[in-house]
Parts: sequence; C-alpha cells; structure tokens
Amino acid sequence: MKLARITVLCIALLMVFSLQVRSQSSPAEAFENVTIHTADGNTIESGTIVWRNGVITDVGKNVSIPFDAYVRDGGDSLHVYPGFIDGLAQWGSPDVPDVDTPERPGDPGYKRAGIQPQRRPASLMKAGADALTKAPKHGFTAAGLGLKGQMLPGQVDLFFIQGNKTKDNVLKSGIGVLAQFEEAQGQAYPSTTMGVMSEFRQLFHDAKALNQQEHYFASVSSNYPAPEENKTLEALYPVMDQEQPFYFVADSKENIERMFWLQDELEFNAVLISGKEAYKKADELKERNIPVLASIDLPEEPEWRASQKEEGEEKEKEKPAEEVQEVTEEMRKFRERQQEAYKAYVQNINKLIEAGVKVGYASNGLDLSDIHKNLKTLQEEGNLSGKQILKMFTQSTADVLGYGQKLGDLEEGRIANFTVFTKSFLDDETEAQYSVSNGQIMEFESSK
Amino acid sequence: MKKVLLSIFALCLSLTGYAQETGSVLIKDGTVITITNGNKADTDVLIEDGIITKIGKDLSAPRGVETVDASGKYVMPGIIDAHSHIAAVDVNEWTNPVTAEVSMEESINPNDINIYWALAGGVTSIHLMHGSANVIGGQNETLKLRYGTGMDEMRFDGAPRTIKFALGENPTRVHGQGFNVKPRTRMGVEQVIRDNFDAAQDYKKNRQAYLAAKEAYENGERKNPPVPVAKNERMEVLVDILEGDIWVHTHSYRADEIMMLMRVFNDYGIENFTFQHANEAFKVAPELKKNNAYTSVFADWWAYKFEVYYSTAYNASILNANGVKNSINSDSGELIRHLNHEAAKAVHYGNTSKQDALKMITINPATQLGIDDKVGSIEEGKHGDVAIWSGHPLSIYSTAEATYIDGKKYFDRSEDPNDMRLETNPETDFEETDKRWYNENGRHGKTCLQGAKIRFTKKGMKYKSN
Amino acid sequence: MSKHADIIMKYFKSILSACLLVLFVGMSAEAQITEKAEYGKFAITNATIHTVTNGVIENGTVLIDGKKIVGVGQDVEIGSDYEKIDASGKHVYPGFMDAGTQLGLQEIGAVDVTNDQAELGEFNPHVRAFTAINPSSVSIPVTRVNGVTHVISMPVSGRLAGKATLIDLYGYSPDSMAVSPDAAIHLNWPTSKKGGWWDDRSKEEVKKDYKKNIKELNDFWSKAEFYDKMVTAYEKNPDDKQKPDADKKMQAMQEVVNGKVPVIISVDAKQDILNAIEWTQKHPDARFILAGVQDGWRVADEIAEAGLPCLVSTLYTPERDYDNYQRPYQNPGKLHEAGVKVAIATGGVENVRNAPYHAGFAANYGLGKEEALKAITINSAEIFGVGDKLGSIEEGKQANLFIADGDPFEPMNHITQVFISGNKIPMVSRHTQLYQEYLDRGPQKNNK
Repeated sequence: MKLARITVLCIALLMVFSLQVRSQSSPAEAFENVTIHTADGNTIESGTIVWRNGVITDVGKNVSIPFDAYVRDGGDSLHVYPGFIDGLAQWGSPDVPDVDTPERPGDPGYKRAGIQPQRRPASLMKAGADALTKAPKHGFTAAGLGLKGQMLPGQVDLFFIQGNKTKDNVLKSGIGVLAQFEEAQGQAYPSTTMGVMSEFRQLFHDAKALNQQEHYFASVSSNYPAPEENKTLEALYPVMDQEQPFYFVADSKENIERMFWLQDELEFNAVLISGKEAYKKADELKERNIPVLASIDLPEEPEWRASQKEEGEEKEKEKPAEEVQEVTEEMRKFRERQQEAYKAYVQNINKLIEAGVKVGYASNGLDLSDIHKNLKTLQEEGNLSGKQILKMFTQSTADVLGYGQKLGDLEEGRIANFTVFTKSFLDDETEAQYSVSNGQIMEFESSK
Repeated sequence: MKKVLLSIFALCLSLTGYAQETGSVLIKDGTVITITNGNKADTDVLIEDGIITKIGKDLSAPRGVETVDASGKYVMPGIIDAHSHIAAVDVNEWTNPVTAEVSMEESINPNDINIYWALAGGVTSIHLMHGSANVIGGQNETLKLRYGTGMDEMRFDGAPRTIKFALGENPTRVHGQGFNVKPRTRMGVEQVIRDNFDAAQDYKKNRQAYLAAKEAYENGERKNPPVPVAKNERMEVLVDILEGDIWVHTHSYRADEIMMLMRVFNDYGIENFTFQHANEAFKVAPELKKNNAYTSVFADWWAYKFEVYYSTAYNASILNANGVKNSINSDSGELIRHLNHEAAKAVHYGNTSKQDALKMITINPATQLGIDDKVGSIEEGKHGDVAIWSGHPLSIYSTAEATYIDGKKYFDRSEDPNDMRLETNPETDFEETDKRWYNENGRHGKTCLQGAKIRFTKKGMKYKSN
Repeated sequence: MSKHADIIMKYFKSILSACLLVLFVGMSAEAQITEKAEYGKFAITNATIHTVTNGVIENGTVLIDGKKIVGVGQDVEIGSDYEKIDASGKHVYPGFMDAGTQLGLQEIGAVDVTNDQAELGEFNPHVRAFTAINPSSVSIPVTRVNGVTHVISMPVSGRLAGKATLIDLYGYSPDSMAVSPDAAIHLNWPTSKKGGWWDDRSKEEVKKDYKKNIKELNDFWSKAEFYDKMVTAYEKNPDDKQKPDADKKMQAMQEVVNGKVPVIISVDAKQDILNAIEWTQKHPDARFILAGVQDGWRVADEIAEAGLPCLVSTLYTPERDYDNYQRPYQNPGKLHEAGVKVAIATGGVENVRNAPYHAGFAANYGLGKEEALKAITINSAEIFGVGDKLGSIEEGKQANLFIADGDPFEPMNHITQVFISGNKIPMVSRHTQLYQEYLDRGPQKNNK
C-alpha cells in the first residue's frame, strides 16, 4: 500500500496556517455537500462542517459558511466521521531492546525490571514510525500512546495523530500510567505474575515512604536528611493520590481479578486495557466504575469453521483425498466447544456494553491492517451494530480518556478531529480521503 | 445427549461461584474409614450444609437431603496432597535466593484440568506450593479442589499460612551455579537463612521504632520528624515466620541439611515445620521426632538427581515406626491421580499398617497444613470432604466413584463426561499435542522446579496463561 | 516409647524370612551389592502357580535345575538333591518384563555424565544400548526384587535412536545379562503435531518440519534398502561386482530393513499413529512394533488391522486436556479388545519396579487380570521373539520367576523370592539395606 502523502493544497492555505500562531483568528475551513455521521450513529445528508482554529464552529444541513472559509465540496459522495480515537496504542514506541542477565537477577534495578513509570512517549517516540503515518488513513485522529515494556512501561500521553508531526502534537501528557502483569525480560526479578504483584505493592510502600520523607524535609528547617531524588517512585505519586489512573492491561478473568486485588489494597483509579475476557467480570467492572478500553484482537477463527464457510461458497471445488478428515463424534463436540469459546471472545464487547460498562477502544499492539477484518467479525458475530462500533471508536473512547467534551463527536465547540471517507467506514471499499486532526488537514492519494 | 449433560454439569459448576456453596447428602451403609476412630462397617454418614453432622447406623435423611447407597463400598475422607503444583500459573519466582514476599495465592489457575483429574482420584485438598529454586521461596496456598469456581473460592478458609523453603541442589544450582549468587553450597544455604532472619529482626525493630516516632511526632510529643522506614513485603513475611504465624515447609533431601535447618529453627524459635520430600529423613528419624518435625515424602521417587541417590522407598515406614508424623505427597499431576496407591506402597515397603498408610494421605497431611480440626478424618463436626470408593482404597482394583467437598459432589464416575475442561482456547485445534511416552529426564508431570528447569534448558520459554 | 518398640518388633517378625539373609549382610558391612545369588536345584512347593500359558495350578511344584525349569505341576517328583522352598499360601509368577525402559543406561537423571541413553545425531542405527548397559547400576537390584526380571533398555534420542537391548536383571556383564543384545531398533516417529505451550512454530512451520523429517527418514531408509540389496547381491555372487564400501550405519540397517530386527516406533498422537501405520505398510520386509501409543484407543481398529503389537503404560496423564481421565488406564484394554497384542512398557529408569502397577491399572480398567498378566510376561517375550524362552512357567523355559505373598499387581503385597535364569536372587537392594540399617537406628554415636 502506498503511504499517505501529505499534500499541500495551495500556497494561500499554507500562508494562512503560518499566520495561525500569531493571529487571534485564522481563516475558517469547511466541507460542504458531505454526509456527516455523528457519534450516536445519526447522519446528516448534504451537510456542511466548518472549523476554525482547530475547533468545529458549525455542523449541520443549513449552515452558513463564513466568508473567509476555504471550502471543499464533497459532491454528496463523501462521508465525514468523528475522528477515531485509539485509547492505547504503541505507535512510534521504540522496541524493547534485548537484555543480558543482570549481575544479581533478584535485584536488577528498576529499569531492568521494567519499572519505568516516568518514561514519556512524547520524548521517546520515533517520529517517523510507519504506524503514525498509516493511522490517519484508518480514520484515527487522536490516540493515547504508550510505550512497549514490562510492568510499568511509562506514561500514557494523548496525542493528535498527524503522521510524522504527531510527536509535537501532544494534547495532554500523562493521562494515565501504563501498568501490566508483565514480568521482567529474561532472567530477572520479577519473573512471575505473583512477583509482579509483590513488586507493585513494594513500589507503593517505597513511594509512600519517600513522599513522607519529602514532606518532612520540606516542613522542618534543619537537621533532617534530604531525601534522595527518585523519579521512578515520584512518578507514582499521582496514581497513589488518585489524580492519575493506571491504564492496566489485563485479559484473563484471573488477571482482571488480580487487578481488583491490587486496587483494593493500593487504592488507585483504573482503566482496564484490552480485557479480552472482561465480560466474565462485567458486573464487577461496572460496580467499581472501571471503564474498559477493549481490544478487538480476536482469536483466529478455527480453521475448520473458516473452511466450512468457504466450502459453502464454492462447493464444486474438490479437496485432495488426504485432506478430507472424517469428523468423529468426539471431534464434533470438541468443535462445538471451540466455537462457543470463539464466540464468547467475539461477543466480549457486546456483553460489557449490555452490563453497562463504559467501553472504548484500544489497539494495544493490534496491527492497523487487522482492524477492518475484525470489525466485520464483530458486526457479523459479535452482536455489535455499526452504530455501536462507531460510538466505541469515537465518543466512548473520548469519555474514557476524560475528553468526552472535546473529542469524539462532531458538534460545535469540539476539537476539529474528523476523517473524510469515500464510503461508509465499514464498507470494504472505503478509503480515507482527508484526515483532520486538531484542525490540521491531510489529504491522501487514492490507492486506486 | 451427553452434550446436554455436560452443559448442565458445567452450569451447575458455574453456579457454585462462592466458597459458601455447600451440600447435604446421606451416604448409607458403607464401610466408613474414619481414620481417627477405626473402620465402621455398614455405617451411614450424614453431611448437612457441608458439615458431617452424624455418623451411625440407620440414619434417615432429613427432608430434601439426597441419599446415596454405599453398601459394599468404602467411605473415606478426601485425600489431602501436602505437595502439589497443579492449578498453578507460575510456580517459581526463581530469580532471587529469597522471595518470601510472593505467594501462590496469587498464582492460582482455577481452570486447570488437573484439578478434575485429581478429584477423580479422591483428592479434595492440595497444598499448592511454590517451587524449590530458592532457599526461602514464596508462600504456599492450601486449596480445596472446588473445580468450577474461581481463585478466591478455592482457598481453604482458615488454613494457616505456609511458606516454602528449599535446601540443597536446587537453590545452589539455580543461584550459585546459574547466577553466581550465594548460595553455591549447603554452607551458604544456612547463612542465607540466618542472614535473612537477622535482617527481618532488624527490620521489625526499625520499622516499629519509625512508626512509634511518627506517631509521637504527629502528636507533638517529638520535635523532629523521623526518617521513614518503608514497609517491606519480604521482611514482613520473614517476621511472620519468626513469630510463628507462618508454617514452614522445606524442600530437603539430605540428612545433614535437615539437621542444619532444625538447628537454625531452634536458634530462632521456629516451631511448626515440615520437611518435604526428605528422602534421607529416615536417617535422622529420632532427631526429627525429638524436634516434633513432620515429614512429607514420596512413596518411591529417587535417583533423579544426586541428592536422592542414597534413598529408600522404605522411608515412610521407617519414619512411621520411629513416631514421626509423615505424609505421602505427589508433587506431580500424575501421582496425585492415585495417591491411594502411593500410600499402599508404605505397606509394600516396610509393612506399615493399612490404617497408618491411610493416615499418610489424610489426617497426617491435614496436621501438617494445620487443617486437621476441619478435614482429614470422618468425624462429626468436620467438613463433608469425603470420597466413596468401590473397594478398599489401598487396593489397585478400587476406584473413586464420587468425591464430595463440603457435602457437594464434584466428581461422579457414573456421570463423567469426557471433556471436563472449564475453559477452551479457541485457537487450540483438535489433536494439537505432542509428547513422548518415555521418561525423558527422570520425572514426569508438574513438579517443583517446573519454572526453573524450563528456563535453564529452553531459555526464554515459560508457562503462561494470560 | 515401648509402643514404638512393639511396632518395630512386629515388623521384624513379619519379615523374618528375609532376616537371616539380612543379618548376614549386616555383618559384612557394605559389601551387599556384590552378594552372590545361589545357583543349583530348587523345588518351590505348595504354591499357586500362575503359568500364564497353562492356567493356574493350585498347590503345585516348580522344579528348577540350573538355568531351566524342569518340572511344573501338582504331581512332580522332587529329587533329594533339590533345595525345597515352601511356598504355602504363596503365588508363583513368571518374571515380569518391562518392554521399554532406559534401565542400566542412566544412573542419576540430573547428572549428565551418568546418562548414556541419548547419543548425538539424528540417525544412529549403529549405536547399541547393549554397549552401555551398566550391570552395577544401583537401580537394577531395586527393580528385580519387585519381580521385574527382564527389560528392554533403549536409546532415546534423535530420529533413529539406536539399538535396544533385551536383558535380564542379574549378571556381571552386559554379555551375561543379554537375552537378545540387539533386540530392536528405536525410531522416534516424526510428529505432524504442534508441541506443548512452548512450541511457538506456526502451523505452516509445523507442516514443513514434518515433511522434512519424513523425507529424511524415507531417504535414509531407501538408502539402507539399496545398500542391503547391493551387499546381498555381492555376497551371492561377487563376480563382476564392486564390493560396496563399508558403512557402519548402513550395515546396522541391514538387519532392520530385512526384518531380522524389529523397529520400535515411538508414536503417541492419533494422526501420527495413522501416518506411522501407513508408512510401515510400505516396508513389508521389515517388522514393526508401536510404543507409547497414548492415542491408541482412538485408532485401535486400525492398529489391529495392521497387525502391529503395542508397548503401552498406564500411569501418565491423559494425552489431551479434553480426554476422559481414565483413558490412560483404559488404553491397553481398548487396544486388546480390538485385537492388538499389548505389552507393558513404563518408559522408566529407576522406577521400572512400578511396571506391575501399570499392569494393575490396565487390569482394573478393562484389560482384566489374566490379559494384564500376559501383557507383562508372555506378550513381551513373543513380541521380541523370545517366547520360547521367557514369559511363562513351563518346563524347558528359563527359570525366571518369583514368589509373592499375593497378587503382585497389588502394591500392598510383597515379592518374597526372585529367580532369574535359575539364579536365586538375594532379595536385597540399596532400598532394603538402608531399611535394615536405619529402621531402628538407635542413639547417636556420642550418646553411647
């Protein structure tokens, strides 16, 4: 696939942008004669959307376009969607480097143990990363970005996604601290889930003590030892004070329960990331008011099932005799259960929504190119409607990230984040033609 | 329609989602092996709401309580395995010689099919142990095999806390040889324990002093604020050991290292301890007896490593004859399926009486885990954890027919569907398995060094169920 | 205290028969391992004789003269020069055979230098277990006093692991122990299945590996057949022919491809078993035995139809998570029911002594006592072509038998005397010696 190319539309426009920084009010821009989809799934046919200074100033059917607006005519064939938001992506994150066994595996130091909550994606991001360039073409205009790592890989920063300019477009630093049940690499402590659990506790104890010492030090004039600076522990203060949530990655029912245990003891706010089996704990998630940024990284469809479907389509095609396997009664039962399990995973999000859990979206490592296929599956087998999917990708994720008033929908006063597709976003043929992020427009070349 | 049966069964299991789930049943006319009060022919056992309320003849079932005919059969307390690694996620936090802070309580895998297979062998409780890579390993967790519930629901309520220690080859190989970190020798093992106990005593003193000073400062009784002493997960556990709140189960083999640890424990006043495996315990049986130490041994495992080369399958009988309270454990997903036959080997090797052999898989392990007031024998007031056997449980021709925990049936051979998995992985295909039938490295199954062994032989590989 | 003394006394009484021997042993300090067997003429009288091939004889006599059994029956005349062994109330069985072990090849599992069962290389038809059998292995006496008198001991590594040997468990050299020095060759069947959780190969890679492995095996086999053909032709008539080059591996394969030495194929998964069966049918000149066969019950009819005997055990966990818990116990019974000849093979080393209990489980779960007894005696002997010498109590056969106080499949019962090839074996092993020394160890030295 060809890379999106950012096209400079015209010199005039460029000049307008260059003035933006200085002037109170830069010229507006608009799309007219487009189908506008709002986060709740409603559409406005032949609509117009206007934005200025990165903010939507008008949306609707009979909108008067300001005199200074640069207008693009959609010719009633383009679809405008609120920009998709990925609640937690690893786009642009440096890869985890290979490591050696430390001198004392039981005391490898914070970094080697994977405890680096102070790390910031904004400063470590690889600006030219492929995924950042591709994401807008998949409709993403904003994302919480985290770093690859182990139990505490770093902060989650909220970015406007603007290709290789993303790095400089942080909307909010530190919307959360990423946490996961991920052991240290190779031969180092903690090497087990139970070790990770202990380490979380110990970190909180140590942070608490340091915090105490800092307070004491500040409160007495003399004769008190100065605390040693410790950026790692200090990065946990806002989590302890419940000013910053843990973005906690967990998939299995048991790991979600383990997160609950830690939450009860250490008293932090949490956003559950991924949560592939979260439906099993839906009621408790609701009770605890923990939102989920759900993964759509679905299990692979069982081979036999996929091929059955294919066979249905092209029955004529004969298979070589050696590949025809007799389906025994035992195998049939096995497949029944396999299918049940498959469906349960596929219906995870639906069940969470039904239970009243707030569900947004997080790719958490899922490749952009897998999204479309998986969304189809969610629609066909996951009991999710196109409306629900759209909402999850937009308003709901914005809500979870704490930006429900600013991002996630198309209405006056919101940040101008949207994507212009050639067709409905779930259509196999659809392509993004424009991406607008924080008012900045990118145009893509059609792949056709 | 077995499928329907299975789903009904699965449904029943899923409905039992909490520890309070109990059952009532009247088991009639069986030969009741009480363990603590001899065998009673043609006797009934009434379990009500999870508790054995009556043992006697011609009992009648209270309204609504199911009656099970056990005539010609044996009713035995559920088998207790004092050393198991089934139902575990990770087994070994093997990176440090001392990891008292970690706990198997947080490493339970309630979906392990081995749980059901153990139930089918009449087992009702296991001691889920941390591995043996570390001198002071993690804390263990005593579980009831309530298959179909969750991590919390499987815990054995009221069981004392226990911890795993390990002596000899495993810790010296993993840390000394593997990492060049003390201990590399049995001499070092002793010092690691003493150093850590000393550190724990210092910690306790300093932490308490800090907390007192903090309070005084906050109350205005002290002018300068104290320098904080952070709460330490590892030291807290070590302090609890020294204060007798945590019982110690020590992986050990050689007689000398058993003697060493008893000296250390005497020095620090630690009283409640069991030696696990203890292949050479028979050599120091009188000393073990004198120190009120317990042992929990294999029926016949030996020669898989050097420190078990000078072993004997008569170990259990010698210990028993010398008055040491001994249990026979599995440390294996396979042996746990027939611990009754492992106990029968104590009759084979050394003529331990049948009654004593049965104690080694019931009341003795219960005593070692501190749950003997609740399980391990059939007595009024104890938990309704029993199994019905087709014949005398020590016979190879007997099979467990039904297994009850808290009066609730978790296994019934007469309605036993093939596929008893609780969880299925949609990405696992039918017949996706490959293992060699013969013994590849001396031992089978889920054992002590699980994590560590794999890491050493296949770097980067690791059991994980995320 | 006195109670304990009583118990100890009781034990002493109950093993009185062994005591005379043991007292003698005790006096001779640590020389027990080399204690010699008695050899000559023995009459075991008043016994229940389980002949295996000719039913059960109550109150019978077995006469042993030298290596052989010279009389079996109720009315056997006992010469005055026979040492009588009264077996009233006891049972006599033919010595048990474990048809698949590594006994004598490995002393201590974790001590690599004592492991001689795994040579480097994939194709080792020329390496011989016979060469590396350690007659002084401490495990040997431990095994034989439990009634196991014969074993197949086999190399295990690579594709063609090497030649397995059939030995009895009494002797001072491999030569004196060997019944059939090269009893079989051991082939690890290439699996088409993915391994456990640690196997991170993709399905395609698994397929590719399987194809590669099969091709290597076929190539090696074809080469061997060709070599055999050339050598045979040359030996028949050397005129005008060039003598084929000497090739140790090919020479070792000659007796395999022409069927003189059978192939033990270790294979467990269903599809692998079917593949192996198909493969064996392409080589009608060779002889094959399946071993392990954990999925055997799934394809019992196919195995029976192919006429392949199976070496099986029972004490392992089910092959697959979704298997019924009893399958391993039932496997021998189900195979037998389909018409397969089964023999017990534990695959063990130091605990081959548990072979009777494997048979006991098989007996209890469908095979029945009589067939289970055959599976651990005559069947193994016949499979390895020594049915005329071993496996039953018959006149003219080797005097391999033992006396037990009950059913030897019952762990509660005891073996009181073992004969191997006419040798009256001292019922002593490291395990009994340690028992004798430590049962009533007495006070410590310094308390004397």
